[in-house]
Amino acid sequence: MIEADHLTHAYGATRGIEDLSFSVRRGEVFGYLGPNGAGKTTTIRTMLDLIRPTSGAVRIFGLDARRDAPRIHTHVGFLPGDLTLYERLTGQEYLRAFASFRGNGIPWERVDALAARLRLDLGRRIRSLSHGNRQKVGLLQAFMHEPRLLILDEPTQGLDPLVQQEFAAMLDETRARGGTTFLSSHVLPEVERVCDRVAIIREGRLITVSDVEELKTHALRWLELHFDRPVGAESFASLASVERAEQHGDRVRLTVRGPLDEVIKEAARHNVVNVVSEEASLEDIFLTLYRDGSEGVTAP
Amino acid sequence: MSEVAVRPSPGALLRLTLLIQRRALLWWMLAIAVTALLLAALYPSVRDSGASFQDYVDQMPEALKQIFGVDFTSPDGYLWSQLFSSIGPIAFLVYAIGAGARGIAGEEESGTLDVVLSTPLRRRTVVRDKALAMIAGVALLTIVLFVVLWVSGPPLDLTVGIEHLAAVHILQALLAIGFGMIALAIGAATGRRGLALGVTSAIAILSYLVWALGSTVDALAPVEPLSPFRWFGEPQPLADGTTWRNVVVLAAIPLFAYLVARVTFDRRDLGSG
Repeated sequence: MIEADHLTHAYGATRGIEDLSFSVRRGEVFGYLGPNGAGKTTTIRTMLDLIRPTSGAVRIFGLDARRDAPRIHTHVGFLPGDLTLYERLTGQEYLRAFASFRGNGIPWERVDALAARLRLDLGRRIRSLSHGNRQKVGLLQAFMHEPRLLILDEPTQGLDPLVQQEFAAMLDETRARGGTTFLSSHVLPEVERVCDRVAIIREGRLITVSDVEELKTHALRWLELHFDRPVGAESFASLASVERAEQHGDRVRLTVRGPLDEVIKEAARHNVVNVVSEEASLEDIFLTLYRDGSEGVTAP
Repeated sequence: MSEVAVRPSPGALLRLTLLIQRRALLWWMLAIAVTALLLAALYPSVRDSGASFQDYVDQMPEALKQIFGVDFTSPDGYLWSQLFSSIGPIAFLVYAIGAGARGIAGEEESGTLDVVLSTPLRRRTVVRDKALAMIAGVALLTIVLFVVLWVSGPPLDLTVGIEHLAAVHILQALLAIGFGMIALAIGAATGRRGLALGVTSAIAILSYLVWALGSTVDALAPVEPLSPFRWFGEPQPLADGTTWRNVVVLAAIPLFAYLVARVTFDRRDLGSG
């Protein structure tokens, strides 16, 4: 579906992307994960021929992203990360215009149905819409022609949880009809929820591409166990999945890699008052990946 | 993949651009109609105070006489001195330069262009539709001005031959479209709306001055043909009509700017908004 081949875009000294190679398979939801400024949007804008590679190339549907842009774009739906709309138009006018860019072949019942699902009033002026509702207009624009490839840059920004669920359902439907999704994000849970595979980039370079399941199993988690009396950290520290254990009064703080089963069973031997769990941050994941990728080298 | 690209419906972006501008364009039409009506309505009193007005004209510096003419009281002299030698083209230029600069660079800076170009629309179609939208706006304003002057003329004795009236409108429209297209081209080549506005306005002011001073300052005479305003104002179209040469020169400017816009916009990395 998408083949990035040593894709490089130099953007002055700091920003940009360097030597990215990855491929997205037909029918999957491919996550593109990285902190802000990592080069996610640059990659996407290269795929859409808004900017051109300094070297390397992207092929989409087997076609050259630059030379065959109109053919590719016929089957692409795009939601930018920093969405700006025409303030003076209504949602209806905006979407009608974009339907006309696509030859006016879109059945309007479909657009109305999508708007109803997302609870968006198409008759209102965009100027008067909240951030979340604008994002819905953008999503409709990207989904309304049922494209083969969705390119979504930080799609769930500003969406409330209910709409996020509807969005996840729309991605499932896209997958069910054979469509592919390329989705960028800077938050891991979003990617974990909807993606099959994920590429992780940092400072313009690809760090890894892996299954989301695999990422979850190796991911670090930060856990705080609160007991009704002080409990020593040693019994936790000896568990295989625990990387670090510290006692603070009647709390034990743990850094766990992989499944929590052993930890929970050990904790159940005492009276547990509360459990606080936090997903590892992206930075933690990067640290782990770096350590995994460079065995024998001690981190500074 | 065997399919060909879906074709955008013809003029889709042109229609969107006019839809976005519809309200502003209506205000412009109204303002031009009202100004023209006011000017026309004042004509009888200006004509009747002819003698004192002529004294005032005789005292004007040569350069101003060159621009406004020396005859303020005949219908064509009045319309030329009060409208077409100054605020007419200025208003049309302000509209056209604004529309040109906004067309591509404005949308690029605000970020709306990214989504537009993620559809099957080609970049050169964007340039074409944005140019057409600017031309359509100028054409509408021209028609409004023409109709108001044509209709209000006879009852106020402000009658000019239709050929001369048409000539000055066509030249003014071409002049405005020329500068509008220069703004569009600078915006297309750089993606910077402020730059497009500033540089084009500077060129416009400079060429106005060259034309205005060209006949009195000998040093400027050789560069006067470079000023688009010279091809608009000489011969004075309301009094003497114009020549095909003037029309061709004024039409060549937007054509050239359009080609520059088309080529440069296609080759460039777009700003990320």
